[in-house]
Amino acid sequence: MLTDILITTLINASVYAMLATGFSLIFGVARIINLAHTAFYMLAGYFIFSFTTVLGLGLLPAMLLSIALVVVIAVLSYRILIDPMREHEAAVLIITVALAMVFQELMLVFYGGHFRSVPQLVSGYVTVLGVRVSSQYVVTIGALVAILAAVWLVLMKTRLGLAIRATAQDREIANVMGMDVSLISTVTMAIASAQAAAAGALVAPLFILEPRMWLYPLTIVLAIVVLGGIGSLKGSIIASAIIALSETLVTFLLPSGAFLKGAFSLGVMIVVLLIRPEGLFGVSFEGER
Amino acid sequence: MTRKRWAALILVVTLLLTTFSVTGCGKAAAPKVIKIAVAGPMQFIQGQHHWLGAQMAAEEINKAGGVTVGNKKYNIELVQVDTNELLSVDDAASAVEKAITVNKVNAIIGTIRSEASMAIQEVAMDNKTIMMVCGASLPQMAEKVGKDYNRYKYWFRVTPVNATYLVKASMLLLNHVGGVFRKELGIQKPKVAAIIEKAVAGDPLAAAAAKLIPTFGMEFVGVWRPSPTATDLTAELTAIRKAGAQIIYTYFSATAGVPYAKQWGELQIPAASVGINVEAQAKGFMQATGNKGNYEYTLNTYAPVQITPKTLPFYEEFTKRAGQFPTYNAGTYDAIYIYKEAIERAKSLDPEAVVPELEKTNYLSAAGKIVFNKNHDVTWGPGYVTALGTQWQDGKLVAVWPNGWEGITYPGTVDYKLPPWVVSQWKKK
Amino acid sequence: MNPRRLYRRFASEVLVLPGRTTVLAVCLVLLILPLFHRHPYTLRVLSLTFIFAIFAASWDLLSGFVGQLSLGHAIFFGVAAYTSALLNLQAGLPPLVTIPAGALVAVLMGLVVGIPCLRLKGQYLSLATMGFPIILTGLVYLFSDLTGGELGVSGLARLGPTRLSEYYIALVLVLGLGLIMWKITDSKVGLVFHAIREDEITARASGINTPLYKLLAFCLSGFFAGISGGLYSHFMRVAGPSTLSVLTSFQPVIWTIFGGVASIYGAIAGTFVLYPLMEFLRVAPELRTLIFAALVVLVLRFMPEGLTPWFIDRVESECPRCKEHNAVTRRTCRVCGAPLGRPSAPGAGPFQPGKGGRVAG
Repeated sequence: MLTDILITTLINASVYAMLATGFSLIFGVARIINLAHTAFYMLAGYFIFSFTTVLGLGLLPAMLLSIALVVVIAVLSYRILIDPMREHEAAVLIITVALAMVFQELMLVFYGGHFRSVPQLVSGYVTVLGVRVSSQYVVTIGALVAILAAVWLVLMKTRLGLAIRATAQDREIANVMGMDVSLISTVTMAIASAQAAAAGALVAPLFILEPRMWLYPLTIVLAIVVLGGIGSLKGSIIASAIIALSETLVTFLLPSGAFLKGAFSLGVMIVVLLIRPEGLFGVSFEGER
Repeated sequence: MTRKRWAALILVVTLLLTTFSVTGCGKAAAPKVIKIAVAGPMQFIQGQHHWLGAQMAAEEINKAGGVTVGNKKYNIELVQVDTNELLSVDDAASAVEKAITVNKVNAIIGTIRSEASMAIQEVAMDNKTIMMVCGASLPQMAEKVGKDYNRYKYWFRVTPVNATYLVKASMLLLNHVGGVFRKELGIQKPKVAAIIEKAVAGDPLAAAAAKLIPTFGMEFVGVWRPSPTATDLTAELTAIRKAGAQIIYTYFSATAGVPYAKQWGELQIPAASVGINVEAQAKGFMQATGNKGNYEYTLNTYAPVQITPKTLPFYEEFTKRAGQFPTYNAGTYDAIYIYKEAIERAKSLDPEAVVPELEKTNYLSAAGKIVFNKNHDVTWGPGYVTALGTQWQDGKLVAVWPNGWEGITYPGTVDYKLPPWVVSQWKKK
Repeated sequence: MNPRRLYRRFASEVLVLPGRTTVLAVCLVLLILPLFHRHPYTLRVLSLTFIFAIFAASWDLLSGFVGQLSLGHAIFFGVAAYTSALLNLQAGLPPLVTIPAGALVAVLMGLVVGIPCLRLKGQYLSLATMGFPIILTGLVYLFSDLTGGELGVSGLARLGPTRLSEYYIALVLVLGLGLIMWKITDSKVGLVFHAIREDEITARASGINTPLYKLLAFCLSGFFAGISGGLYSHFMRVAGPSTLSVLTSFQPVIWTIFGGVASIYGAIAGTFVLYPLMEFLRVAPELRTLIFAALVVLVLRFMPEGLTPWFIDRVESECPRCKEHNAVTRRTCRVCGAPLGRPSAPGAGPFQPGKGGRVAG
């Protein structure tokens, strides 16, 4: 039982972390709550579906092409719709929701409300400590570690990363120091959307593809990001584990209440916020104006 | 300056026009046409089946000379009503009210989502318009007819049989699989786990499962209640496997049935899956589950078997037109015929005259013999609509039940197959 | 006051300003509309518009004025809808009692949400509030014997005996409650609300009990949202889990920001435009939501403050000396006589969270 719980938690945590870290990154740097983040994840899933089944491309090229396409769409919508509006926080919020709705409706128009599936990289399962784990999950965990390591390297070891971190810390001073803050935000948007698209490529095959698939993960991602502290990558990863653990515990210990797992995780989030209003690893923006 | 004033004026006028123009269309009704609204979420598979089923019936009837009411000839005209009900309830009710009051339809058929169906039912009853449901299965809608006959008498259900019967029939399917377990694997008391989505229709069953399942000579190991829209059921499946289940009884009326079947097949959970999984009735199920949903066994309404002489022609024609298998939403096909016969007998389009004739319905439909009970609900049972058990076998949807139940076997029924990984796990060595 | 003076006062307060004249004209048109056109479908769409306009305005009261950006406003709407529905069905009380009762429960919900949220700021608050309706939805499913689970509670009493009466009930309420909300924001309390949004620390340093006022805002907003939730459940005659959905939470945000935030009338105007528009778009059902969403994106992109500030910027100008508004056609200020220059560049000024805000009135 314990191993089952731990392994299930690990699996779910990695899926959530994949989505949450990108969201957290773009918030930390550009200070934008991008509610269209999981819509990019959905777009990637649909692109892979069309490239492989409609155009007949191989899976790997289809994945890379989809990620690239999503990044282009994300960067364009950031430059055209979001960046010029950044002074109007509320308007940005609505624009990102509306953008997600636009993507959802476009998918509905092109693909209808049918359920589809994204082809998997690997199929079958492996048995870990007596627990059956879908091979795709193993790939996902591996890819997640690789992607997070790459993002960490970029952030910590390159000049670009230094600039991104400086912008995240104090946008105005970064600007005064001569950095092109707008360009840095755009680059961050590209990285974040690439993460969402990679999640679409790796995680979407585990679930089903349908035009409203962005909504549920969005609420969970928001809960995770708030819980971990907005803008903190470390916080997002740890919060993913906490939320995944609480969900798994509900399923295993209270089987007849499995439908409550979403509500339960959000309850955990609110309780943690009551104790630490800025999340687990969040920075308090008290002094910021 | 004046230009700006003009701009302001135009803005105000457009604002008002937008409000008015919503009612501007559809005033002139062509004579000698019976209008039937087909209400459903038209961008989703449920609504598309509503529409296609209705379209087939309307075309057939119009080709054969239309409907004779008294001594007048009418053609059937369908009005497509996109209710958007899966997303918004007030949208659905407004759409139907528009169909009734603006397009002046004579009857409404369709609807699927419980909450929206209830709201639509109220709108239709307010306007004394006949409403024939082909989708929502809740018994509560029919109970209202019993409680307040004068208000709700315009309401009827054609498909599916109501949720109480659905649960009964699905228990028969569970027994069917239990029998196969005993015969083929020699397991006398198979262990059963129940996975029942958190929906009102499943509540009494979930509460009674612990007592009910042992009465079938099976052992009950637990019940899991995921959300109807869950996207990941790995945790539930892992827990069910841990509990040692050999059969999983399912109750999924919504999207969660797809990831369930997909992950069940992917992880080769060693337990046969049987019950209700509405998504497994659709042709796209195999594609949606990445072919992992093979061997999923679900209650169904239509299959390529001869329930009545009408079933096969309907099934084939629908499949040809839609590229999909008809689900219970395509019951709009039968609903239109039932309505047609009632108005012909009543010699009138007046709902007050049509309702008593609808009550007398005894119609051999593609799904079985349709007779309405006193609550205007379709009757379930041997000799009436029985529903079917269908299984996915090697990518094909085949009927496997009823197979001798109450002496009924529809021509074309085949034997149920246990998933090979279940057999290899539990076969006595 | 004799009628002539009354008219003069009216003319000098309302008719001189195109913005106010428009509001008056729209109100009058809506009041007399049923004399000319009483199609049940039109009345239905408009009634729902009015009900949702109250909801949007209540969001504006909390989020626009006090700056507590709530993304879970459905909790007030839904809890009141369920309360009204259950009281009506189980206790047989008429809508006249159940709707205020639902609103009172929504006020209590305002405390339940407001007290924990006192500690939270900015985005944390927004995202935490989003969780509340989802948790409540879980409870609705858990106690499905009472709440009817996904079916909801149905078969409620009608709001009024006829559609026409329902229309007038909703219309009178949206005008009346809109006026009350506008008056609240125009009062001393409203000034405190502005102060909290602009700079909470300074407000507290000036001796204002900010937590108390924030709680007051949560309760007031909950009250008005609750009334609209109760109206909705009696109008639709079903209260179900969709009243608590994420979409229900987002709708007032979209309507208000589209109409112009922190003004009450902006929220109402936004709903008056967008809700009927959505109905109108039924002409192209498959593209409806797409057109709607695209329109919202484009309008906000080019009118970031929303519709009403954009409109007012075009028909009125601000006197550079006394800050009173004037019709754009005037050359001199109607109050102090100062010459009015060309109107200031559009887009400057109004609502920017954390920066400056338009004081209503």
